[in-house]
Amino acid sequence: MRLKFIGVALLCAFFMMNIVFTQFMVHQYYYENYVNVLIFGGLNIVVFPLALFTYKKTKNEKA
Amino acid sequence: MPSDKNNKIPFNEDNYTHNIERNNERKLDRRGFMKTLVGAAGVFAISSLPWGAVAAKELLGLGDKEYPHKKITDVSKLAIGDALEFKFPGDHDDALLIRLSEKKYVAYQNACTHLRCPVFWVKEEGEMVCPCHHGKFDVETGVPTAGPPRRPLPEIQVKVENGAVYAVRVKRYEA
Repeated sequence: MRLKFIGVALLCAFFMMNIVFTQFMVHQYYYENYVNVLIFGGLNIVVFPLALFTYKKTKNEKA
Repeated sequence: MPSDKNNKIPFNEDNYTHNIERNNERKLDRRGFMKTLVGAAGVFAISSLPWGAVAAKELLGLGDKEYPHKKITDVSKLAIGDALEFKFPGDHDDALLIRLSEKKYVAYQNACTHLRCPVFWVKEEGEMVCPCHHGKFDVETGVPTAGPPRRPLPEIQVKVENGAVYAVRVKRYEA
């Protein structure tokens, strides 16, 4: 893959992780496993700075 | 005669979107797309906060509090096999009380665990039915027996005192 699309690929991966974690979090909430809710909510929050970092690192990537 | 028109016949073209500057107008480049993704991650992060907050609240035991006992009905007003809707613990939490026998009462919060439609009691069939997608629940335990719901209905503990039925608390989900 061309180097300039690494950032896009990484961010897409983060986006997918967001979706999965959110789904999990909501389901675990209704199953009343509240510790799991906190874990996945925390993961969701951690992904944001990672995504921001990835964006800043790769936005000027040249082919 | 003076006119604000320039007296030129518009040139003939079949492109009626000629006034849209198409070059670069709606371009979504790589960087813009990445910004969108970062923004989405931010939205996900913010939207997980309330879930975390309510989960923490439940973990701290605030969710398991005992509500003030609430009188549902008088024993004499509810025949065996009949059901009665009431609100517990809040004013917007629909619940259903069913009298199964002389002494046995069951009560559930009757928002279907699939998509929260109100579950009702079908006396002839002896089961609780959700009208939206034909989910069925066992009346003794609240466990789903058919249809889309997968989690049992939250059970409300009731007690009979002085000829009246009281709602005491909502049972925790156990699985």
